[in-house]
Amino acid sequence: MTLPRRFSFSETAPRISNLGSWARLLRAGALTLAGTLCLAGGPVQADGGIKIGSIFDLTGGLNIYGIQQNNALKLAVDALNAKGGVLGKPIEVVSYDAQSELSKYTQYANTVILRDRVSALFAGLTSSSREAIRPIVRKANIPYFYGSLYEGGACDKQTFVTGPSASQQLSVLIDWAVKKYGKRIYIMAPDYNFGTISAHWVKDYAKKAGAEVVGEDFLALTVTDYAPTIQKIQSVKPDFVVALPVGANQTGFLEQFAAAGLKDKIGVVSTNYGSGNQQVVVSPAAGKGLIADQGYFQVVDGPANTEFVKLWSAKYGSDTPIISEAVDIWNAVHLWAAAVDKAGTVQAAPVIAALESGLSFDAPNGTVTLEPKSHHLRQNIYIVEGDDRHGFKVVETFKDVAPSYENEKCDLKANPTLAQHFAPDGK
Amino acid sequence: MELDYLATVLLSSLSSASILLIATIGLAVVFGLMGVINLAHGEFLMIGAYAALTATQYGIPFVIAIPIAIAVTMTIGAVVEVLIIRRLYGRLFDTMLATWGLSIAFYQLAVLIFGTVTPGIGMPQFNLRIGNYSLAGYPLLMIAVAAVATVFVYVLMTRTVYGMKARAAIQMPEMARAIGIESARVNTLTFAIGCGLAGFAGAVLLPIVPATPSMGFAFVIKAFLTVVVAGPVTLTGSALTAVGLGGGASVTASFLTSVAGDAFFFLITAFLLWLYPLGITAKWRTKM
Repeated sequence: MTLPRRFSFSETAPRISNLGSWARLLRAGALTLAGTLCLAGGPVQADGGIKIGSIFDLTGGLNIYGIQQNNALKLAVDALNAKGGVLGKPIEVVSYDAQSELSKYTQYANTVILRDRVSALFAGLTSSSREAIRPIVRKANIPYFYGSLYEGGACDKQTFVTGPSASQQLSVLIDWAVKKYGKRIYIMAPDYNFGTISAHWVKDYAKKAGAEVVGEDFLALTVTDYAPTIQKIQSVKPDFVVALPVGANQTGFLEQFAAAGLKDKIGVVSTNYGSGNQQVVVSPAAGKGLIADQGYFQVVDGPANTEFVKLWSAKYGSDTPIISEAVDIWNAVHLWAAAVDKAGTVQAAPVIAALESGLSFDAPNGTVTLEPKSHHLRQNIYIVEGDDRHGFKVVETFKDVAPSYENEKCDLKANPTLAQHFAPDGK
Repeated sequence: MELDYLATVLLSSLSSASILLIATIGLAVVFGLMGVINLAHGEFLMIGAYAALTATQYGIPFVIAIPIAIAVTMTIGAVVEVLIIRRLYGRLFDTMLATWGLSIAFYQLAVLIFGTVTPGIGMPQFNLRIGNYSLAGYPLLMIAVAAVATVFVYVLMTRTVYGMKARAAIQMPEMARAIGIESARVNTLTFAIGCGLAGFAGAVLLPIVPATPSMGFAFVIKAFLTVVVAGPVTLTGSALTAVGLGGGASVTASFLTSVAGDAFFFLITAFLLWLYPLGITAKWRTKM
């Protein structure tokens, strides 16, 4: 007679060392308590189906992304189940809410693997959440899918990335922007690895395009006053600004930039504007003419996207535009299902081998191909321009952009034990 | 260093300080005067922002949306005081726990009612040119707004009968009651005014900081530190601290980096609290 395993999770001390403030610290404590209570009545074990796990931020500051990622997962599973599931069995989802707290990711990743015994995990938005999960899935050896744009370089046998990496997006964006605006570049980025690594790539691609970075400012996520940055931008007179605002506060930068009357003189391009539907928050006056580039926008053309948007709107309505992270998860679930069908089992080793066989999927954002060596996704990159109705129009489509940095550094076929987070030199 | 750059840095730093002061002033009343640590202060700010935003979406001009936001937050503040705060006067940690629970509830309510993204109202597109530089006009306007709000609260608390009653009811509740002041009702009003000021801040700053469920967070930490550094003479102290710390951080950010600006704010706060554990105004003999 052994105790039910769930009791071993009730002693979860909050890991709060990296949280920003004492108020958050208190909040983390109570949410942990709440999370523990939820766990006691956790998901019911079900027989017969194939179980996959999901951990997304359904509450808290990151739920702008998490809710849509979770919705996309459910939509994909419903679509697959309607066609008979995988291997003739229905797919069942065990879902957890990480509450925008990093410690929850570690906790639930363990729960979902040890207790729920899922065959694949779909989880995470921030790089820190992904890095918290990777060692756990590596040890458990189950395929893990990360669906978000990010700074690039994550490399190990179990991890599959369906969002574009920073170098994948910036390689086409910087070239395009230098031709359109000119050779002087200013970088405004958040002060953590997404920002600093992205800035490195901007410099790299600027050099290749014969342009130069004339200034940069890294900002804490809590900054709400951008006057100092805007003055520095004016004093060095760039042709365009690469703005990588993260979170609601940094969206204010775009508003203040426009109100200072700079938008008509200086271009603004971004790899993440729109990924959290910032174009809905930003006023038409500030949003018109902003340039963004990602693997997906709701406006992209194609029958697969029309079908996807129809399916989505029927279930979730059409009030909020679909974000790229939702499509990243939709693609991840379909690629996983294709791999399972190909392997004929849910066992990790054959599924990973199938995922490494050059799988393609007719996705809402065009045909995507999972790169066998780097576990990253070759996909279209769309450059769009903001209009004055909180929306975008596509200005240019780059077909089949390869994750070239990841392909160059990360060869998991030749080197299956590789477990690294590659970053450009000096970062 | 060119003169025009220096002028823009000074002006915009003053506006940064003013924005901080606007966000802090409600807390100066609730925490400074009443001694209630209201951890839901940021959420009242958020409620004010959403109230103003919703009003503008119904076609009401922004200028009129601000008093609506104040009325809404004052009402909610009064209800919170009667239901929760009133029972906990003098019990510091219980108040913290209660208001912090309230903040989580308010936050999640906002997510449920408004969703995670709502359209902003944008910033009025006018700007000021100084030499080679141009500054967004609306943040500069906040300098005047902060000055008016400070004077308003100062006059309200020191020159009116209500102000005298409010201070009496908190400082000596028994004596106040003995001379016929209904201290319970006065306290409700004072707390409501504090919440109304937070609502005012959320509404008036809406063009600068878009309304999101988590927006209160960006302000509440610096606002609390400002009031703590200010000490017992809360209003004048807060104004001084906001200009010193907020303005100083902004100047530092202009000449160095934004990270250095934040570092300046927190280091100077720590230094001042080490120097004056009870706040910089601990030895002053003025009222507000």
